[in-house]
Amino acid sequence: MSRFRRGHVVARSCLFVALLLAAALLMPSEAYALTTNKATARPNENGGSNVIGGLATRLTWEGTVEDGESVSSVTLVLPEGGTFAGSSTKITALDGLDRAAVDGFATANDNQLVVVFSQPVDEGLLIRLEVEGMAFPSEGGDVVVSGTYENASGTQQLADSKPISTIANTSLQMLVATLDEMEAVQAWNSNPFLGMFFKPQLLVTAFSSLLPGWLLCLVIVVVAYPFAIALGLVFAFMKISRHRLVRAIAIVYINVLRGTPLFLQIYIMFFGLPMMNVNIDNNVLGVIVIAINASAYLAEIFRAGIQSIPQGQYEAASSLGMSYFQTMFNIILPQTIRRVIPTVTSDFITSYKDTSLLSSVGVMELMMFAKNLTSVSGNMTPYVAAAIFYLIVTLPLIKVVTYIENRMAHAERGGGPRPKAGERSAVEEAASDDLAAAELSTHFEGLGEGQLAPVPVFARMAQEV
Amino acid sequence: MALFGKGSKGIAAVDVPPAMDAERAARLGYTHDNKLSKHAFMEGEHPVVRIEHLNKTFDGQTQVLRDVNLNVWNGEIVVVLGPSGSGKSTMLRCINLLETPTAGHILIEDEEITGRKPKDVALIRRELGMVFQGFNLFPHLTALENVMIGQTKVLKKSKEEARAEAVKQLTAVGLADRMDYKPPQLSGGQQQRVAIARAVAMHPKVLLFDEPTSALDPELVRDVLNVMKDLALHGDMTMIVVTHEMGFARDVADRVVFMEGGVVVEQGLPEDVFDRPKNVRTAQFLGSIE
Amino acid sequence: MSTISRRQFLATAALSLGTMGLVACGGASSGDTGTDTAADAAAEYTLVNEGKLTCISNLYFPPFESMDETTGEPVGFDIDVSKALAEHMGLEVNWLPSQAFDSLVPTIKAGGTADIAIAGMTITDARKAEVDMSDPYVDSNQSVVTKVGSEDTLDTLNAEGKKIAVQAGTTGADWATENLPNATIVPLDDIISAMNGVLTGSYDGLVTDLPVAGYQIKNSFTDLQILEPIPTGEQYGIAVSKDNPGLTAAINQALADMEADGTMAAIETEWFGAEV
Repeated sequence: MSRFRRGHVVARSCLFVALLLAAALLMPSEAYALTTNKATARPNENGGSNVIGGLATRLTWEGTVEDGESVSSVTLVLPEGGTFAGSSTKITALDGLDRAAVDGFATANDNQLVVVFSQPVDEGLLIRLEVEGMAFPSEGGDVVVSGTYENASGTQQLADSKPISTIANTSLQMLVATLDEMEAVQAWNSNPFLGMFFKPQLLVTAFSSLLPGWLLCLVIVVVAYPFAIALGLVFAFMKISRHRLVRAIAIVYINVLRGTPLFLQIYIMFFGLPMMNVNIDNNVLGVIVIAINASAYLAEIFRAGIQSIPQGQYEAASSLGMSYFQTMFNIILPQTIRRVIPTVTSDFITSYKDTSLLSSVGVMELMMFAKNLTSVSGNMTPYVAAAIFYLIVTLPLIKVVTYIENRMAHAERGGGPRPKAGERSAVEEAASDDLAAAELSTHFEGLGEGQLAPVPVFARMAQEV
Repeated sequence: MALFGKGSKGIAAVDVPPAMDAERAARLGYTHDNKLSKHAFMEGEHPVVRIEHLNKTFDGQTQVLRDVNLNVWNGEIVVVLGPSGSGKSTMLRCINLLETPTAGHILIEDEEITGRKPKDVALIRRELGMVFQGFNLFPHLTALENVMIGQTKVLKKSKEEARAEAVKQLTAVGLADRMDYKPPQLSGGQQQRVAIARAVAMHPKVLLFDEPTSALDPELVRDVLNVMKDLALHGDMTMIVVTHEMGFARDVADRVVFMEGGVVVEQGLPEDVFDRPKNVRTAQFLGSIE
Repeated sequence: MSTISRRQFLATAALSLGTMGLVACGGASSGDTGTDTAADAAAEYTLVNEGKLTCISNLYFPPFESMDETTGEPVGFDIDVSKALAEHMGLEVNWLPSQAFDSLVPTIKAGGTADIAIAGMTITDARKAEVDMSDPYVDSNQSVVTKVGSEDTLDTLNAEGKKIAVQAGTTGADWATENLPNATIVPLDDIISAMNGVLTGSYDGLVTDLPVAGYQIKNSFTDLQILEPIPTGEQYGIAVSKDNPGLTAAINQALADMEADGTMAAIETEWFGAEV
């Protein structure tokens, strides 16, 4: 009997403990009349994704009023150093997805924000508080929003929010703050045009936040270009091939790529390939698109370059007994490369600028960052910063092109560096003779104009053989 | 009918007989050409270049060569004269296969070269040096490299060998001090001399000159002609020279060939052709030149 | 990208022209002011084009605004609202071509191009700092959209390597950066390319206004799903230049009139099947 009783008591206490445990596990939501759903903060780093302490940002806090309860006020508390001073609070209550007619007013008191509703918020409603212009403690770190609320039975503790990670102020941000203070900057910005396109604060932050995008642009085009050159050469040779089918393939490739907007090619590649279950990293895909697109233009540049080499060069090479490939690689291509360097450099500039189109499909390149920053700031300055980033590369290249072109023009006139001090008369002779030679080099007795078409002698000969 | 008779009939032969038996052709050519050339013939020798019934038509309508027959013997200097449009350059370019003959045969040392695969053509061409009217030097290479490249790439000589040969040939044409110059820095005459050195350095069986002085200023012609003369008189090179330089032809040629309208009108010793032309057209042409 | 910058340039060029125009008019021209009942209550306002309410929007945001498939004319809830507004204000409505959403506020701020931007634009403090926003005319919420069959949840989407497409400059973009901090947020020009991208697998999900997601999934993108509606209770307003407070007042008056006379309810019923 006693044994039984004791056993009964043990069983009962076990059950009690189990119930308590179960309650402890299930109850946390039940324990509050107002459950904290979340607290998040809008990143306030200009051009970055961090929440910086000590600078104004927006805190969004959400809590749900539980069944059978009603809440008349909510107090949010930030850790020491955080402040609600000067903030404005937007109070929204939602019944599911519908707005409920809930009003109230918020009073900021240093690190406390008291929101008193005009009438108690009913059960089941989601309370959403957006506090604009508050600031987290300036030292940074994980910040927990705590607080209290009032229901019918008095003041209750709010559950702590999940921590919001914040960082201490950055030197860049401090520079921006300094600029904000400066009167000259304020005067500058008060001009609508200057303020919209050349706002110094944004220029500073844009330069730092656009940098990764700029580097990606450079990487994409620098990686893509060697492939573009190789592909371009292949298609250039295919286009002057003696096989009709090979020629046709090259012509279709070149014309389709040159005849359609790059934008379209990007869309097709980025949206089409994944549909065929080909999943390539966005940046790699960007490289591929730019390489393929540039290769078509380069193929034409190379083709024209190869065919601009006078027929006499082919004839001289072949009369030495060179094969087609020997002629191409030893005689024609080295000359072609010299001739096309300016055009290829221009094309490189174009390709570099074309990377901007990749922003439309989410490649995180320069324009993407600029667009991002503009959409956040509502100011055009980031685009100006982007323009400067483009110019950093393009202006020197344009200069290089001009330099090479001048040098080539000079060399073709018989100038250029000489190994030794040449005789004066030799220079003059060269100048006059070369013109005559150039005129005559393509002339062959008994040939009509038709025979002078710049088709390499090999291709023509092989067709006949 | 003498197959190698002078003054071909000028018939546009569509069906040309096959190349004739080498022994017989050599024998016939020997007896025939013996009288037409200052060349010292050797017993049993075969011509280096044998052109039989060569026809060339451009675009299927413009007939430039009409049944041309010609033998060139080892060591012989043949100068081809004729008004422009007479087909003399085209004939030269056919020998080098820069033009593909429409009909006929060309044999180099008794080997048929027409109708060959591109690979064989490259092999044949290395035996035939060519000097062009427009020089056609490779502008991206120095004079020295221009002369070396054929040796290294085609003859597969070592760089050192090729360089030594190039230096030798450039020195021979008087350009020892211009070896590191690139073509645009050289005068036309200098360029043409480099081109000659380039061709000679390949040690071809036959050197073909396609109006080598026509693109030159008169004062520069002499240098080039001197080099060619030197080559003709002191080398053992076989040369076919298409030119308008009568003086050169008279001084150097073993045989002069006069072409007109795609036909070999007359050929013979320089003094015969120049002083006692048998054909009225030859006489008219020479008269117009002088 | 060149189109945007060109447009911006034009906007700025127009700004200076517009300012000159204002100076020339001296604000005295009565032809520029609304004369209807709605405007009686309001202060004087200026318009870019006399007698016309010139509107801009990003026309890739159905059902609020899109382009008619055949005519290319703007259609949608906001367009009907703009027409009703103009009617109540005694004006003609004039729609300009679509422009990038993130350029709408700067354009209105710059002035001279359009009088109002009506673009499913949520009233936010950030926008109110740049332009005036009218009283709210419709409520909205956010939503997270994924491809049908996707196993992602809100938690798995908030992870390194996940890509979330948003429309640049929208409250959806804000919500994504704030609530999915671990994912890569990809801002795009319009929500249609975001939807295409999710459909083809370029992005793992997108965040956009719930009515737009619902409408598009029902009508065009049937292979997408609403992973989760996000209650935000945000409200759309009409952007007006801060230099034109009279117009804001007139629009607020007209909106109130439309609410009172049932016009708004009719438009809501037409586009959403019920009053919102």
